[in-house]
Order: sequence, then structure tokens, then C-alpha cells
Amino acid sequence: MGRSHVSMDVIFDMNRRELVQTLAGCTAAASLMLAAPGCRKAKEAVPEVETNIADFLKVPKTPHSLPGPFPGKVVKVTDPRSLVDEKIDGKVVAEMVERGIRTLTGTTMEKSFRMFFTPDDVVGLKVNPVGPPLISTKPEVAEAVIRWLTDNKLPAKNIVIWDRFDLDLKDAGFTPDRFPGVRIEALQTMVEEGQSFRDAAGNHISAGNFDPNVYYFAKGVVGKGVRGYRDDEFYLNQHVFAGEYSYYGRLLTRDITKLVNLAAYKNTGNGISMATKNLGYAAICNTGRLHAPLFFRVCTEVLAAPPVRDKLVLNLTDGLRGQYEGGPDKNEKFVYANHSLYFATDPFALDMLCHRELVAKRKEMGIAVNEHPRFTEYLVYAESLGLGVTDPARITLVKA
Amino acid sequence: MRLLAVAAPLLLIAAAASGPGDTSLLPPSGYLGTWSLDGKPRVFPGSELYGHIDGGAEIFFEFGFEETTVQRYRSPAGELVVECYRMSDPLAALGIYLGKCGTESPDTGLAEKHTAGRYQLMFVRDRYFVVVNNPAGTPALVPTLTELARFIAGRLPPSQPVTVFDALPKAGLVEGSQRLIRGPVALEAIATLGRGDILRLGGRITAVAGDYSDGRGKHTVIVATYPDARAAAAAFRNLTARLDPEIKTLAGGDGRLVFRDYDGTFGTALLAGDRLEIRLRLQTQPALK
Repeated sequence: MGRSHVSMDVIFDMNRRELVQTLAGCTAAASLMLAAPGCRKAKEAVPEVETNIADFLKVPKTPHSLPGPFPGKVVKVTDPRSLVDEKIDGKVVAEMVERGIRTLTGTTMEKSFRMFFTPDDVVGLKVNPVGPPLISTKPEVAEAVIRWLTDNKLPAKNIVIWDRFDLDLKDAGFTPDRFPGVRIEALQTMVEEGQSFRDAAGNHISAGNFDPNVYYFAKGVVGKGVRGYRDDEFYLNQHVFAGEYSYYGRLLTRDITKLVNLAAYKNTGNGISMATKNLGYAAICNTGRLHAPLFFRVCTEVLAAPPVRDKLVLNLTDGLRGQYEGGPDKNEKFVYANHSLYFATDPFALDMLCHRELVAKRKEMGIAVNEHPRFTEYLVYAESLGLGVTDPARITLVKA
Repeated sequence: MRLLAVAAPLLLIAAAASGPGDTSLLPPSGYLGTWSLDGKPRVFPGSELYGHIDGGAEIFFEFGFEETTVQRYRSPAGELVVECYRMSDPLAALGIYLGKCGTESPDTGLAEKHTAGRYQLMFVRDRYFVVVNNPAGTPALVPTLTELARFIAGRLPPSQPVTVFDALPKAGLVEGSQRLIRGPVALEAIATLGRGDILRLGGRITAVAGDYSDGRGKHTVIVATYPDARAAAAAFRNLTARLDPEIKTLAGGDGRLVFRDYDGTFGTALLAGDRLEIRLRLQTQPALK
């Protein structure tokens, strides 16, 4: 009975509004941000959270770095045949994927492949398996992408379907039976209550899956005594590490050479949980500490790190179904057939476009929408870092 | 034989009642002949709810959360999953339900306040918010969702009449738009007025909100009734002092605030005794005095 009071403290000591306002306080990035077109200056003094974003920005970009060859371009492919009577038509989805990629690149599937990959690449497909079957990434979408890769001589064994947690992949249909020859992996295991998550040496059994040399740093923000978690052991089970460092998965830093982001299409409160969040909170560990002080800012800064920035070549948001309210958890009441797939090399343009689209849907459904600028400022911030184009006037939507 | 027929289900229920969490509310194996428990119940007390719904737990905590019990069932026909959320009080459960139910689509077979679909049925009774899931969306299992909900509802105390919405003006209220607010998470779903617990609800005072439609367009009204006039005045002072930087104050003083919001619409806050009434998204500028 008394637990609810503990829980309420979680909320009332938490100032999530600080997350966007602290953007201007980000020591390393402040000058970049404030110089950016359309970037608004924070209006009240808030505590700063210093991160290592400046270190990421020092690393020279590569030809594959974000925002890729098509900054600000988003392709939307819609086909009502893709979802009929609650059933996904894999053949139609495959057609949509081909149409989307060809429209994005302006060339053939073979040349598109060569634009992004070589047959030697190890390609990671980051899916969102949460909330199946309503609002997770559909296996049919992954199948179509895999077919494109293998048709162009990329071995199936060089393809990795992955997520941060191993819990949901099977429920979402990402099984060895369905994807023979393809690796299906998670960055970490979260052990059930009552079992130990430590190995013989006392480390988390998933600790070795993260790269100690590649990390997202947030000064003074540690995974100890994090509000909302019963104790530090409970936190560690879920987040593997607990200090000021969130390590990137070795899968990204040492194994995968290219990344395809297969996101779901849904809201999280007044914001969205799509392309940038699909990676921002999944590429690293120890994220529980970041929600309250940084939240959406993580979706920009984690993608700015070279293991993501220089490998993420294609984003495909699975909007066959959409969820306009009640997210990030699945809620059938707000799930609708959207019959669309979205393609971009620029995940920030993609998210800005989808955010605006979802806001329009919320209004259409009679919701009095809170469109406060704080819910998209992380995207504006990304543009100031040169990671994408997020000014709606400069985003090009191509419908195919 | 008759005694055995009566006793067997009771024994099964008693066995379930001895488990962790709220398993005493749930059907045992053998339910409707073919349904069996699929694994042990998963119980998420207090802050452990993050382990179940990481991205959506805060709103439960804000309203007042105690424990969730999750149980999977399996039969030759498929799989069902029950989630029972035990909240701190009936209004907390109702607050969660109203935030999730959308436009209700009721099933005639269930008397509780509920909404039913192909994949999910959610209902509220007393201080419980319950979701029954049909993960595969199997159409043939939809009637079983209702049966399961009835089973659980039958083991809960009845809900009491809800009077909290009487604080909202009646004229122009859009039916189904009513919401409850106990803190910043629920408030932010409606509006960003300022940092933290700007209305000083503290998870204990329940404010109400509703959308309105009249000849001048649509707007939203929030009414918070505090324990006394002093508490209401403190909340009003907090609101005016920490108003969101995107909001521009047009007039203030004497318990009244007029402002322009980030999107160009207007709003007012009016203090009257123990009551604070906020109007948002007004299309025309209110009188400044």
C-alpha cells in the first residue's frame, strides 16, 4: 500500500521539461545550436547536463555519414492492399519496399544496393519488437529488405536482426524458423525476478556485449538511486551498467558495418517513438538514468556517435499500422491502418515529417493536441549538428 | 457427485488465491474447459512496473499505483494475457482508464465501464484497471475476452458513483473527453503550463478536464478543487510564477491570469475560493480585466 507514495516521488521530483531546455545548456553543442537557423534559445536558466557530444563531432564524417545522400528527403509509399482484414500481405509489402527504395535513390535496386552496401558488409536490421502484432516492426518488412540484400549477393549470415533486449524478438515474429540463416541477436538479457543476472565474476552476464571504449557520457547522471527503480540491483539487471557512461553495443562498434533502421510508427506522449528513438535508446546500455534529465536529446546525441552516424545508411519506418495515442505501449483503441512505409537516409527529416503527420492524425481523431515546441526541439538540435534537415519547409516529401 | 462438482472449482480458485499478486482474481487452469495457465503469474509491485511497461509507467505512478499481476493463458484456440493493475484508489484506476480508453466501444456482455476490441478489452472497476489481451487478434477469441473480464469483475468490489466531474461546466462539454489529472504527466498530455507539478496536485488532489465545443470553437477546461482556499491560492501563485516560457502573460493579478499560448491561442486561469479553473485554446482573446 505504501509503495504508491514512493512512486509518486518519482514524478514530482522529476522535471522532464528540463530535457529540452538543457539543450541550450549542452556545453559542447551550445554554440552550434544557437547558431542554427530556427533554433530557439532557452528562456530560463536550467541545470546543464554535459555530454560527450563534442567528442563525436570531432570525428571526421565519412561518405556514409548522416544525413546520407538524401538529406531532407522522405519517400512515403502507400498501398491499401498491404493490410487487409488485419493481415499483412507480404507480397504487397515487398513491392512497396522496392518502390520506396527506388524512389528514394532514383535508381535500380541493384544500384541502390551499391549506393549503400558492399557484399562484404555485415548489415544490422534494427527492428522494434515492442507491442506485437499491432505496432511492432512487421517481419514482412524485414523479409523484403533481406531479400533485397541477398539478391545482391550479401550472404544471409552477414545479416543481423537485432534489438537491445532479447525478450520481445520472438513474440514479434523474428525467429530462426522464419529467418533461416540470418542472425537474430539482442544486446542484452534481462533476467527474470529471482534469478541472478551476474556471472561467476560478479559482472552482468551481458556486460561483455558492450564496448567499454565507445560510450555516451552524461556528467553527473548516474544509474544509481535512479528514481523509479526499487534499488540499484534492479536497475543493473535492466541496464547492465550504472555509471556516467552508456556503452554502445559491440554489435554496432565491432561487428555491424552498415545499419538499416526498421522503426515502428507510434506516439510517445506528445512526441513520437519512431526512427531516432528506435536507435537512441537501443544502441546503448544504462539508459534508465537518461530519461528524466535528457529524454529526447538522447535520440539526437546517440545517433551522432560514429558507430551510428557513419553506419546508418537507410531508415524505413513501418507505418502499415500507426498508433496516434496511448504510446509507447500498444493500445488497440488508437491503432489504425495507415498502409504506408516511409523511407529516408535522414532519420531526423523522417521523424519530423512523421511527427507532423501523427499530430494531424491526432487532431483528425478529435484529440486536443499539445504541440508545444519542446516535443520536436531535439530534431531542430540535430539539424544544428549537421545530422539532418528538419525545417519542415526544406523537407521534401515524395509520395510513391 | 454434486458436492464434488461444486468443490472442484472452489479448490482450483483457492489454489490460485494462494499465489502471488492478485491471482485470486484470475481464472484457474481449466477455465471454460480448455484454458490453462501458461507459466507463473508475473507480479510487478511498485516501481517494478518499469519492468513491464517501461515507457508508460509514469502515469500509473502519478495517479497512485500498487501492483500489477500479469498471467498468460493458453488453449488449443490460442493465447490470452490478463493484466490486472491495482491502483491506490478508484479515481486512480478511472484516471488510467480514461487516458487509455479513447472513444468507448462497449460489448453488451459486460456491465463495467469498459471498451472492447479485437485485440484488447480494458475495463475499470473499483480500484482496478484491467486489460485482457488477445495477442494474435484471433476473432474467435473475442467473446472469451468478455468472459474473462466478467470473471475478474465478479471478484471485485463494485465501483461507487463518480461525482468528481460535477466540477466541470455542463454546457458545451464534449462527451467522452473527460480526463483526470493528478500531476504533470497527465497534465502534459493536455497542455504544457510550466515545469514540474505546476498545479500543485501532488498526486493527491484530482483535477478534472474536458473539451468544449461552442459557437466560438473548441477549447479545453481544467478545474482543480483544493482542500481549502489557501492551497488553491498557492497553486495559482505557483502557476503565475513558473509559467512556461512559451506562454506570454497578457494580464494578471487579483486571482485572474490571461495569457497567449505558444500556438497563438489564448487562455485564462481564475482563482475562486478553493477552486482554480483554467481555460485553454480559446480562439479569441478574453477581456484583459
